[in-house]
This record gives sequence, structure tokens and C-alpha cells, in this order.
Amino acid sequence: MSIRKRAADFLLQRGFAVVFAIIFIFFSVATAHFFQADNILNIFSAMDPLAITASGLALVVMTGRLDISVGSTAFLSCSIGALLIRDHGLNPVLGMLLVVGCGALLGAINGFIVVVLRVNSLIATLSTMIAYRGMALALTDALLVELPAPIRFLGNAKLGPVPINIPIMLIVLILVHLLQTKTSFGRQIMAIGNDVTVARKIGLPVDRTGFLSFVLSGALAAAGGVLTTIENGAVSPFLGDGLEFTALAVVVVGGVSLLGGRGSIFFGIIPGAFIFEMIRNGLTNLGADPYSYRLVGGAVIFAAMYADALKSGRYALRPQS
Amino acid sequence: MAVIAARDMSRRQPPFVWPSRQRAASVMLLATALIAIEFYAPNFFRYHNIINVLLQASLLSLLAIGMTIVMIVGGIDLSLPANMALGAVLGALSMKAGAHWAVGVAVMISTCLSVGLINGFAVARLKMIPFVVTLAMMTVVSGATVWLTNSLSISQLPDTFVDLFDARPVFGVPVAVLIVLVLGGFIAILMRSTVAGRWAYAVGINERAARVARIPINRVILASYLFSGLMAGLSAVLLTARLGSASANMGNDGVVLDIVSACVVGGVSIYGGSGRVPGALFGALLITVLSNAMNLIGVSYYLSLIMKGVVIVAFVAIEGRREGRQ
Amino acid sequence: MRTAQTLLRMDGVCKAYAGVLALNHATLEARGGEAVAVMGANGAGKSTLMNILGGVVAADSGRITLDGEEIAIRSPRQAAQQGIAFVHQELTMLPTLTVAENIFIDDLPRRGPFIRSVEMAHGAERLLARLGCAISAKTPVEQLGVGDRQLIEIARALRRNARVIIFDEPTSSLTKPERQKLFNVISGLKAEGAVVIYITHFLDEIFTVCERVTVMRNGETVWSSLISDVGPTRVVQLMLGVSENEGRIRTPIEAIGEQPVLSVRRLCREGVLNEIDFEIRRGEIVGLWGLLGSGRTELLHALVGLGPIDGGTIEWNGGDGPKEITPERLRARVGLVTEDRRGEGVLLPLSVSDNVALPNLMSLLNAWRLVDRVRQNALADAMIERLRIKAADREQVVSTLSGGNQQKVVFARWLATSPRLFLLDEPTRGLDVNAKTEILKLVVELAGQGCSVLLVSSELEDLMRVCDRYLIISRGRLVGALPGSADVDALMRSIATIKNEYEAAP
Repeated sequence: MSIRKRAADFLLQRGFAVVFAIIFIFFSVATAHFFQADNILNIFSAMDPLAITASGLALVVMTGRLDISVGSTAFLSCSIGALLIRDHGLNPVLGMLLVVGCGALLGAINGFIVVVLRVNSLIATLSTMIAYRGMALALTDALLVELPAPIRFLGNAKLGPVPINIPIMLIVLILVHLLQTKTSFGRQIMAIGNDVTVARKIGLPVDRTGFLSFVLSGALAAAGGVLTTIENGAVSPFLGDGLEFTALAVVVVGGVSLLGGRGSIFFGIIPGAFIFEMIRNGLTNLGADPYSYRLVGGAVIFAAMYADALKSGRYALRPQS
Repeated sequence: MAVIAARDMSRRQPPFVWPSRQRAASVMLLATALIAIEFYAPNFFRYHNIINVLLQASLLSLLAIGMTIVMIVGGIDLSLPANMALGAVLGALSMKAGAHWAVGVAVMISTCLSVGLINGFAVARLKMIPFVVTLAMMTVVSGATVWLTNSLSISQLPDTFVDLFDARPVFGVPVAVLIVLVLGGFIAILMRSTVAGRWAYAVGINERAARVARIPINRVILASYLFSGLMAGLSAVLLTARLGSASANMGNDGVVLDIVSACVVGGVSIYGGSGRVPGALFGALLITVLSNAMNLIGVSYYLSLIMKGVVIVAFVAIEGRREGRQ
Repeated sequence: MRTAQTLLRMDGVCKAYAGVLALNHATLEARGGEAVAVMGANGAGKSTLMNILGGVVAADSGRITLDGEEIAIRSPRQAAQQGIAFVHQELTMLPTLTVAENIFIDDLPRRGPFIRSVEMAHGAERLLARLGCAISAKTPVEQLGVGDRQLIEIARALRRNARVIIFDEPTSSLTKPERQKLFNVISGLKAEGAVVIYITHFLDEIFTVCERVTVMRNGETVWSSLISDVGPTRVVQLMLGVSENEGRIRTPIEAIGEQPVLSVRRLCREGVLNEIDFEIRRGEIVGLWGLLGSGRTELLHALVGLGPIDGGTIEWNGGDGPKEITPERLRARVGLVTEDRRGEGVLLPLSVSDNVALPNLMSLLNAWRLVDRVRQNALADAMIERLRIKAADREQVVSTLSGGNQQKVVFARWLATSPRLFLLDEPTRGLDVNAKTEILKLVVELAGQGCSVLLVSSELEDLMRVCDRYLIISRGRLVGALPGSADVDALMRSIATIKNEYEAAP
């Protein structure tokens, strides 16, 4: 076995934990504030929208496709909900349900384009990513949509010392995890990701499952957006900007293979999201330029992707055979 | 075996019926645009506006040519606009620091080439996925650009630089348009008639068959990304000169959409192996005309994004080949 | 052995693909508790027959009776409901799922929305225990070897109490102990009274596993009997038929005096190729003769770097004495015609002219370093004429040509590079009689001009029309050599020789 292969194997097996530990120790030593209970809680609290969005995206990635419209989906559905709540006095609880429903609908559009029109998922969601964002900016005139006070209050709700959104995230992720591991639907997702042709041969409902994975991805992206919105008390024109990339990074760092068929929601997405939020938090504590996050994040995803590529070989936009 | 032979028979359809349908769709799109312009935006045909459209189209064309080459080889380069912005900003910074304009140009082009080299290396040698590599590159590079500039625009560049590349030497046609026309013709010949061009198509059509036919696949792939880096560098130079400034916003999301739609409208297949440079030039012109017309008619910028998204999806769906195993 | 009743009977089954008859009143009879071997060369129709039985394709006419009742099979699902299970050669495993999930994937047992994992695991382990296999049901399939995967595939087939189990080349990628295990499983199935239909290219296996043999040729059933009534050589003769002697295209030459163009020493690839030693001399046509799965394609791929090698050397003589050479460099020097014409040979959407020019571009440049259209066209026209390629003109798109003409385009491409050696893997596959003859004549013509040729074909007649000598390959090993004058019997005996590797299954 060559050194390269061995190094790669090591990276695959334990690299994640090693990198995680190094970063964690580095920040703990380098800054005074980082390694404190309330800061760790902060990280957990801040990563919630990201983790929920990534869990939805992971479902699509596990089928071997991509959905890079998640950030825009969150933005558009939250804008619609927020505008209805602010301008038409919609009940906030109904509003939240509506937002998630909107997300599901936008996801369904993606699913339709990919599964029925047979457009490559990358191109399809690249188009809808920009189109959805355009739609939302048109609706909101690219202005901040403020929400009424009671909702803003929700953002500060706590269970004892724990911000309420942490248990919400845990519940959502556990549900998605159960969906992925314990239901036929979840197993079919993995089957498709393993090999579409084989899945079809066995007689699995490949198209239905693929379509539903996009619907769920949209709904969960919207749910993540709801958490962000509640926390901020408003929908900003930058909601979900770059989220598609961060979410994808979390998915890859969390060990979900871009080839599909491999990975775990609960045990992949939570550490993945934690790493990203930890880097952001640590850099802030270090007093680094906020613009450098993207750079560091990019480096992390490059490494994770390289590991993924080593593991599974390249696949291209087009059929190879 | 008999079964396989029979399956071969059923597959023996001429595989390229679609482009004609695509071409028909492009022409219809152009016709619709022109009719809409005729009725709603008479201002379109003013001299200044036409020159403006040509300028915009020529800059988009450069990026679209880069994308076309990468797509022909079977990849995609989403980092093109971000790459251009980084090159522009670094070049502008160096000129602001007192460097000669030639040095500024060299900085822009070499920056973009190095980003292209990294992309190419990652795809060709490290066997990473083109879409994700360049998506990551786009994020990293635009992050770096924002960081460098603090989201501010870098202006007051040396006049020699601005004048040189923003000049209008012949009949008031901007130098950028001329450069793109010459370059487009040059690349078209390159793709049609050089060994490298033929190799590019072959790799894009079928990598395995290309390998059996003794084509150095990795070199071809690497070269395609290097080339798109070069195009990003050139457009950085021209765009910076035109605006008289450089900023991170030069490479926003909308530009990626413009490039991809110019390519698919121009008949470049996202699955590799087919597409022509003149097609991409036509696509770039069409998309620019559409944007400009929508702007004149008063359609909001955001709605124009939606329409471009629809155009891309429609054209790829028309192309109609099965979604590849990704 | 208890005498069993005929359980399955297929009568007068016909099937045509696009007017070409693949099955012509084929018959098959099988009894409970017995395994029947279905033998036949490529294209004999055995796959089609099995696909009809498995519901993969529909027959044009014919009757299938199971247990005395006439049944209609229109889909794999219906076949499964009738108790017919098909274990395909290509396994349909989902590597990252567990053993139990793979067995039950198309019908997961559920309570409410959730899978009943425990029950499923028990079910899976019960099925596997029946197959004498003690894999944990919770193991991901990717951690298992091919043999175990095959058992899981069988377990999936058995889930619905199969009465007829079709094995399509089940041993092609198994190791010896795995094979033995599979044979035991088959014995167990027979003991339960099931019908086993066994398809293989390995002659030795049918004498170990099967009680009966049915031989097919050209879509017809030409022989059915107890296995004890025939010997291996007889089976091969039945499979291949009496060679319709089309006559040799050239009499074998002896190239003893000539220098070797290619010498291969101790070429190895773990589990696939074993100590391959041979050389090819200038101007000779060497036939690599072996059954499907004997390693012949793998050998060709390994030689030119399209498949890995673990050891051995390749020496190349380009006219300036022998030199050691890497497979990649060898690829740049030989004309290579691969088995998969459409996937690896031609570039389908390009024209004849562009396809022919592809590896020759460097020699077609003009003073501007551009590819000279005139010269390219001249080359294409010359090749079209020389190889008598039937195309409307040089600009015709290759995907619209017939198979034989596509193959000629592949040849044309290499001819222009004037290689000293051609490696041909099934160059005549899927071609009609005339096209075959033309390709073979072309091969002889090349050899006459001093090229050397290594020719692989599963059709003995083709080899016998052109080869100067034969290398015999079996299970990844060169087991012998025969002169060009060898007759059909000698060649058939050479691959039908069974080394007594396996004990009879209990």
C-alpha cells in the first residue's frame, strides 16, 4: 500500500477526530473565552439552522444528487411567511407551518425538474438557487422584513440555561435520522445512492424517492430558515446567502459521500456543523477578520472533498459509460 | 449475445436530433426578445445602448468561451466570475500601490491562471468532482476577495490603464469588442483545427474511448481549466478598465447564471463533447440583449434572474438526454 | 438418487429481436431435485431462454409449464410469484446497506412507519442458515467477499420459496473455497426438491454440479441428456457445432526465424492472470483461444495498461532490438481493438473522418500547426477505400454505420499509425458472416504486410481461418500451445481438459 493511500486511509478513518481535536485545543489555548460552558452552548445554539438545513441536503446527497438551492429556498419561504405575518396579520404559528410548506413546495419544483424533466440536479438547482433568491428579493424589495415583537421574544426563549432552539434541532435531527435509518423510504434513499440502476432493477420506486428527497430538503431548509428568522426577529436580504455552500461543506465534512449511499445524519451532521460553527466562533474570539471565515471554511471543505474523492474515485456531470 | 445485440439495435437512434430543436428554441427566444424590444423598449436601438450591449456581451463572451471549453471537455467551472473578481482586485491593488499598468495586467492574468491551475489539478489529478471543486473554489476565492477589499471598490486606477483598454479605436467600437471578436475567431479555429481542440471534444464525448485512442486525458482536462482561468484574467483586465475600478461584486452569483445560460442557449452541452465557440458568443449576445431589454422594459433585476433560471432549465431539458449517474 | 418428475417444461419457445431469430423452438425440461446445465456458445440463445423464464423478456411463442400447469410470465415479479428465482451474473447488491436490508430491500417488513429490524435480521439469518452461511445480518455488504454476496443474492431469491432457481454464471468471480460452498448450497437446494438451472462456461463444473445437460446452438436445443451420457469434449463439440468450414484465408506460416515483436514474461495479476509467458513474432497471427472468463480479455487489457498488473515484464522490439516497456507505453505503439466497440472503440457522434484522424492528428498538421483538412480527408478517403468501409461519405456520423463498418473505422484509425502489432479482442463480435470475413481478410492482409496480430475470439471458426498458431488460456493461465495446423478436435480437447480440481459435491 502506497504512502499516499495509507495517509488517505488514516485521514478517512480518524482524520475527522484528529482535525476536530486540534482545532478545538488550539482555540481553547489561544483564547480565554472559547473553552467555557456558555460559549460552547453558544456554538450549539448558533449552528442549529445550519445543522437542520444540512440534514435535509444530506438526504439528497445520499441519493447521489445535489441540491444547492437550499439557501435560497430558506430565504424565499421565510420572506413569504414574514410578509404575510407582518402585512396581513397571519397567525405566527400558522406562518411557520406555511413557511415549511413553502419550502416543501420549492423543493418539489426542484424534484420535478430533476426527476420528471431529467435535468441534471446540479444545473437544475443552480438555476433555482438564483431564481428563488431573485424572487425573494423582488418580493421584499431587498429590504429587511421585521417581525412583530412576540416572535422576536421567542428567539430568546430558554429551557433553563439552554436556548430553546437546541432541543428543537436535536428533535428534528433525530426524526430525520430515524427516517433515514428506520423507514423504507430512508433505505430506498440509500439504495438509490448505492446504485440507481440496481435499485431500478430490484423494482424500488426510484423516481418517487428521488422526488421526495428534494421535497424534504426544501422543507428542512425552510425550517432552518425559520430558526434563523426567529433568532434575528427579521428576515434579512442576506438570509441563506452562501448557506448552500456551508451546508454542503457540513455534509461532506460529516462524512456523507457525494457519491451517495453513505453517511449518517445524526452522527455526521452534528459534528460537521459543530466544526464549522466552532471555527467561526473561535476566529471571532481570536479577533480575526470576519471575512476570513469563508477562506478557512473553504480549506476545510477542500480537505474533506479530497478525502471523499480518494474514497470513491471521480464522478462527472455526465454518464461515464 | 443475442440480447445485447438486440439492445444495441434499439439504441441505434441517431443521438443528435436535439441540437436542431435547441437551435430552434434559441432563435425563437431571440425573436421574442426582438419583438418585445420593438414594442416596449424603443430606446434599445440608440447608439449608446447598442455599444453598451456590445460591451457587456463581449465581457460575458470571454467568460462564456472559457466555460465552453471546460464544458466541451466534460467539466464545469463555477469559479469563473469569482476568479475574475479576485484577479481584478489584486491587479487594481498593485496598480494603486504604484505598479506600472503592464504589471497590473500581468498580476490579473497570472492570478486567474493560478486559480485555474488549482481547479485543473484538483479535477485532473486528484480526481475530484468538477462541480464541487469549482463551487468550493468560488466560495474561497470570493471570500478572499471580500476580505482583501473589505467589500469596498478599488477605484482611481492609472489613466493609462483605463484609457488603453477602454479605448474605441475603430468607428467608436470599443477595444474590448474587437479583442473578443478576434479572440473568438482564434479560439474557434483552435477548437476546430488543432490537435488540442480535437482532443478536447474526444475527451468530452467519451473519456474511455479517448484513452484507448492514446489521448493524454489528464493534460487535456488540466488545460481546459487553465484556459478558463486565462479567460477570467482577460475579462478581469477589460472589465476593470471599463468600470475604472475593481470590486468583489464583479463576480456575483448572477454572473455565473449569465455564463451558464449563455452556454446552454448557445448549444453547448453540459454533458460534454459538443458545442462551438461561435454558439457561445451568440448565446452571450442573446443573454445580454435579454437582460438589457428587460432592464429597459422595467422588469426588475431580480425577475430577470428568475427568467434566466427558467431559460437554463428549459434548454437543458430540451437537450433531453438522461440525467447522468452523478 | 430418487427419480423425480418433470417439474418445469419449456416447449417451442421462439423469440426474435428486430427480425433476427434468437430462439427457434427451444425446449428445456427439468426435474425436481436435479440440476440441469444449460450450455451454449455466445449467442446460442441460453441467456434469452433464461430471461424468458425469469420474466425479463417476453417470448413470441411457446409454452411454459410448471408442475403440470401452464403458466404465463410477464415480469420478474410474476416469475417470482410462480416460484422462479433468477440469480443474475451481475450481482444486484447495495454495498452500504446491511445483509438483512439487502435481502429484504424490495419488501421491508414494517410496523407502522418503521422497519422491524429485529424480525428482519432473524428472517435473514434463517435464510442464510439454510444456505449454510453464518454471516451476521447486520454486517454491511461492502465488507463481504463476492462469494458471500452471491449467497445473499441467493437468499433474496429464496425469500419467496423458489421452486426453480436459475444460476447465471455464478462462479465467474468466486475463489475455489467459495465455489465449493456454492456447490454445497446447490446440493442443499436439490435435496429440498427444487429445480436448479445452471449456466456456466466452465465445463468442469457441470460434471460436478449437474445431473442433466441441455446444449443450445443457434437458438435451438440440440441435445438433452443425463450428464453421464456425455463427456466434456462431446459437450464442446455440441456447443460449437461442426465447424462450417469456410476455408482458411491463409495457410499457417511458421515464423520461427523472425524476431519476436513482443515478449511477455511472468505477467501476473492476483487472482486473474497467472505467470503468463509468450512471445509474438513478426508477421504472425497468434490466436488466444479460451472460453469466456478464461482471462483472455483481462490479459489484453493488462498488456496495454487498461487493467492493473502485479508483476512481470513486457519486452518490445520496435526494430532496434528488444527493450523493456511499460503497459502505457505499449499502448502508444500497438493498434488496439477492444471488445466494447461502442464504449471504447469509436466516438459515436463524430464523423468517419474525425474518428480515423483522432490518433493520427500529429501527422496531419500543416505549416500553421493546424490539422490539415485536405490531408485528413485524403487519409479518410484512402482508408474508406482501402478497407471498403460502407459509408455515404467520410462525413457520415459513425453511430449510424453498421457494426462491421464501425469496426473497420477502428482498424482504419490504427492502420494510419502503421503499428507493428495489433491486439484484437473479439473484432468480429456481433457482425454478420460477410462482415466477419471482411474483417478476417483484413487481419491476414495486415499480417502479410509484416504486422503481428494477437487475436482473441470466442468463435473457433474465426480463429481457425486465420491463425498461425494458438495459445490456450484457461483460468488465467496459458495451459498450452497448438500449431496452426491443429484441427477442431485438438482445439476443443485443449480447453475441455479438466484438471481434477474439484471433488464431486456430496
